[in-house]
Amino acid sequence: MIQLSNVVAKYTAGEGLHLVNLMVGPGEFAYLVGPSGAGKSSVLKTIYMDILPQSGFVKVANYSSLNFKKRQIPHLRRRLGVIFQDFKLLTDRTVFENVAFAQQVTNARRKDIKKKVLRVLADVGLSHKRNKMPHQLSGGEQQRVAIARALVNEPILLLADEATGNLDPESEEEIIQLLEKINSRGTAILMATHEDKLVRGNNRKIIKIKEGRTY
Amino acid sequence: MIRGFLYTIVEGLRGLKRAKFSASVSIFTIFLTLILIAVLLIFIFNVHRIVSEIQSRMELEIFIDNSFIQAQIDSLQQWINKIEGIETIRYVSKEEAAEFIKQQFGHEVFEILDDNPLPASFQITLLPSFRSTLAVEKILNELLKLDGIDDILYRHDLLVLLEKYMHIFLIVMLLVGTLLALGSIVLISNTIKLVILSRRTIIEIMKLVGATRGFIRRPFVVEGIVQGVTGGVLASLFFYFLFKVIKLELPGLILIDERIYLILILMGFMFGLLGSVFALRKFLKY
Repeated sequence: MIQLSNVVAKYTAGEGLHLVNLMVGPGEFAYLVGPSGAGKSSVLKTIYMDILPQSGFVKVANYSSLNFKKRQIPHLRRRLGVIFQDFKLLTDRTVFENVAFAQQVTNARRKDIKKKVLRVLADVGLSHKRNKMPHQLSGGEQQRVAIARALVNEPILLLADEATGNLDPESEEEIIQLLEKINSRGTAILMATHEDKLVRGNNRKIIKIKEGRTY
Repeated sequence: MIRGFLYTIVEGLRGLKRAKFSASVSIFTIFLTLILIAVLLIFIFNVHRIVSEIQSRMELEIFIDNSFIQAQIDSLQQWINKIEGIETIRYVSKEEAAEFIKQQFGHEVFEILDDNPLPASFQITLLPSFRSTLAVEKILNELLKLDGIDDILYRHDLLVLLEKYMHIFLIVMLLVGTLLALGSIVLISNTIKLVILSRRTIIEIMKLVGATRGFIRRPFVVEGIVQGVTGGVLASLFFYFLFKVIKLELPGLILIDERIYLILILMGFMFGLLGSVFALRKFLKY
């Protein structure tokens, strides 16, 4: 479903991706592990086409960087969900509005938006907090709102960029369990992390990255 | 379609509410620049009005051959009337001309001379679109083809001078106006850029969840247009009340074309639209 083959994407300062190869199949849960600055976020950015490779190619579902038109980017991103360490929530909107926002951009009907948002909020266990503002929630809850927003468009793949980096161990555990639950329903997950302990002891696929190279 | 439109309007207005301060700065900027442009337009309008008035007072005086009898004069008048561009034609008989001289100098012409030497004439005014040197030359050529015309008098030098200075004046005003308009758009664009900068996160999230460029752009454009039109309406109101005062205190000093109010609102609309489109270009690259 995702394939990065010999991807090179350098920035002007010489940093970036030097040679990345990875593959994540449908419904798979994979970890992208490496220290800070190794290029994990850049890999995720190439997947949602925020960075286009200078050589090699990226394939996501039916989209390929080799014959890609820029106007296709929004359509690709609607099939992906992305969550970040800093949650990236809209601070002036309620939990419900934050999640509904991802549906509004697809021009969905109001009635459908409400139904989907309520269902996905129930999935992440936040139905009762749908009218709260983000600052009224704990870090773990905010990340769950971000996950709900990522899931509301029913993505084929969820990209998590250090999604537990700002959380206490208890919330971290909750988020991992939630991601496991989402994965068990068929959504593929690629989780970028610098924490070895997260991947230790589970049988998930691990892709290691260092200085812009996977190995 | 309607859903998207409603979303755009609601989000645009919400955006204005969220960024009250920067929106006020933007509206004030538009208001000020429109006032400058309006002053320029009113100045041009009034200079043009004065020049047109001078031009309208310029008459062609056609002196008729002294040997022409009344029937020939009537026929000549009919021929002149057929020439394109003639607004009015007035016949001044020899007697009327003598009366005029008498009024001017206080002497009876016939007392000094045996006969009345003054020729009869036609005084011609031209239609507004025929008051240029080129059009006058054309009319003169037509007139010279007619029999019975002794001489034609008109203020050629003054017309040339007026046209020349009006031409230079309009070019200078056009340049100043263009610079002002460009400056306004840059200024408005920068103000809107600040608004957008403060909302980077929402744009970033919109891109992430798959919003198209048009979808992201539209609410900001609505914001820009609302700001522009508000600035335009304020500038219109400012001039409306200013002219009310001028009319009362100094009647006839400055005249305005009532269309200026609509022009200001339309310009505000354009500035808001262009300013937001330019400001967004940088932020909407994928």
